[in-house]
Amino acid sequence: MSGRVIVITSGKGGVGKTTASANIGVALANTGASVALVDMDIGLRNLDILMGLENRVVYNLIDVVEERCKLRQALVKDKKLPNLSLLPAAQTRDKTAVNSEQMKVLCNELRELFEFVIIDSPAGIESGFQNAVAGADEAIVITTPEMSAVRDADRIIGLLEARKDEIKEYRLVLNRIRPAMVKNNDMMSVDDVLEILSVKLLGVVPEDEEVITSTNKGEPVSASENVRSGLAFRNIARRLRGEDVPFMDLDPQNSTWFSRIVKFFNPAVRV
Amino acid sequence: MAHELANIYKSQDVVVCRMSKIAIISQPDQGVLIDVSGCNTMQEAIEHLSSTLQVSSQFWKGSDVALNLGKLELAPPQVAQILAIAKGVGANPQHVYADSPTTQESLAAHNVPLGTGTPMSLPKVALDGAQHDYIQEEDAAEGSVSSKSSEEDITHFYETQDAGKETAIPESIETTTSTSDSSSEEAASKEPKTPPLPAVLYLRQTLRSGQTVSHKGHLVIIGDVNPGAELMAEGDITVWGALRGIAHAGIGGNITAEIRALKLQPIQIRIAHAIARSPDQRSIKYASDKFTGPEAAKLVDGKIRISKRSVQ
Repeated sequence: MSGRVIVITSGKGGVGKTTASANIGVALANTGASVALVDMDIGLRNLDILMGLENRVVYNLIDVVEERCKLRQALVKDKKLPNLSLLPAAQTRDKTAVNSEQMKVLCNELRELFEFVIIDSPAGIESGFQNAVAGADEAIVITTPEMSAVRDADRIIGLLEARKDEIKEYRLVLNRIRPAMVKNNDMMSVDDVLEILSVKLLGVVPEDEEVITSTNKGEPVSASENVRSGLAFRNIARRLRGEDVPFMDLDPQNSTWFSRIVKFFNPAVRV
Repeated sequence: MAHELANIYKSQDVVVCRMSKIAIISQPDQGVLIDVSGCNTMQEAIEHLSSTLQVSSQFWKGSDVALNLGKLELAPPQVAQILAIAKGVGANPQHVYADSPTTQESLAAHNVPLGTGTPMSLPKVALDGAQHDYIQEEDAAEGSVSSKSSEEDITHFYETQDAGKETAIPESIETTTSTSDSSSEEAASKEPKTPPLPAVLYLRQTLRSGQTVSHKGHLVIIGDVNPGAELMAEGDITVWGALRGIAHAGIGGNITAEIRALKLQPIQIRIAHAIARSPDQRSIKYASDKFTGPEAAKLVDGKIRISKRSVQ
C-alpha cells in the first residue's frame, strides 16, 4: 500500500513550517509509522538543523535528482528513531536545480518506501512552492494568528484549491498562538482566523519558548514530555492518522491555583 | 437604468441568471450551462454568446460548459464559429444539446459531444411567486433610506479621493471613455447601449486573496470576498457575503453603479473615478464583530456614500 505524501506550506515565511515538519514527523514516527522528511527549501536548508542531523548529511535531494547517488544513500536515518529518515536539501544550490516532474518521480519513489512522506515547503508562491506541492496529495497550511500571515495563507489556499485534482485535502495548523493575548483582543482567535480562511482545522499550537531551545539542540519538542507545544504536535500526528483528538484547552484562566502559586514564587517554572 | 434588469433567482440548488434571450444556469456538481435556445436566429445567438463569454478569464478559463441550442439550426461553419468563441476564452464545450437534426449533424461533423437526456433548464416558477430567494437589482431612488438619513446610517466614514484620471482600467475590459471629465451627460449618452446587452456574471464561490474577477456588466458573488481579492465590473457589484477585498464598480464611467454587500467591510471601494477607503482603525475580530446589516455604496455628488439597504 502506498504512503501518504503531505506537503507543509504557508506562503508567509517564519510561521513554523520547518518546525512543524520536524515535530509532526517525529510524532508520527513515535506512533510506529515509517516516515520520510523531505526538505524542499533548496539553498536555505534548515530541516537538518532542527533534527540535529546536519553532521550526518552526505548526499542530498539534488544529488538524487541529478542521479549522482541512489535515494537510499541520500536518506539520513534519525539518531533515535530508526523508522524516521531525512532527505536533506542542498545548501550550495538554489530552487532552480529541480523541477516539478523530477519531484513527482521522487515522491512516487518515496511513497513506496514510507507510510508518510512529509515535505517541508519553502516560503513563497513561486517555483519553490510549486515544486514542493508537485508530488503531494495532501497539504497542511501553517499560519500564525496575524493579519499578514493569514493573508498569505489565504493566497496559498487559493492556489491549493486550484490544484484540487492533485491535492485532495488541505487543513490548517494555527501556530504560535498566545491565549492571554487572544483574551485581551490583541491577537486573532482561532475563530477569527477560520472566519477568513474557512478550512478544516488540524491543530492549534501554543507559543512556547521550548521550541527555540529545541531548535538549537536539534531535538524536536514533540519527543519531550511536559512540553505544551510538543503535546499539540503529538495530537496533530494522531489526527493525521485518523484519530479524533479533542483540541487542547489553551485558556489561560484554567491554570490551577496551585500552578499560579508556584509561578508566583518561581516565574521561570513552566506549569 | 442603463442596463437591462437581470433576474437572478435561486430555486433549491439551481442558480439561474437570466436575461431576455440567454440564461446561465449553474448547479452544484453539474457545472454551468449556457442556454441560448431563447434566441430566434443564429446571428442573435452568436452575438449573445460572445458577449456572455467575453468575461474574465478567471471564470471561464478551463471551465467545462454545456450549451443548449434549442431549436436553432446550425450549419457546420456556424458550429465552428461557436466553438471558436468558446475556446477563445478558454472554456471547454463539453456537451451541446440541440433539438434540430441539422444541428446535430453539424455538431457531429466537428466531433462535439452531444448532450444526452434533458439539459438543465430554467426552473418552472413564476417570477412573482413566493417560493424562491430573489435578488433584484433595485432602482437607486427606491432605496429604503433617504439621502438625509443616510448620513446617520453611515456606520463607517469613508474619505473619498477623486482619482483624477480613472485608475487602472484593466486591459481585459475595453472602455469607450478614458477621461474622468465624463460628466453625467456623457453617462447619459451611453444609456442607449447597442445590443447585445452585457450579461451578469454570477459566481457562487468565495474569492480568496490574489483572485480577481473582472466583468463587462453586473457582477454577483455568492460567497465572501477575502482581503486581497479584487472585483472589477462595468456595472454593479453585489456580494452576498462579506466584502473584505477591493471592489471597483462602474468602470468606464458609469457613475450610477453601486456596490452592495451583506457585510460591507472592504479595504477600498471604487465607483467609476472615485475611491473611498475604510477607516484606519482596523478590527481583527472577524468572527465576533457586530453584524450591522446589508449596506450599499453609491456615488452621490461625486462622493461615495454608504447606506443601509433592506434586501427584499
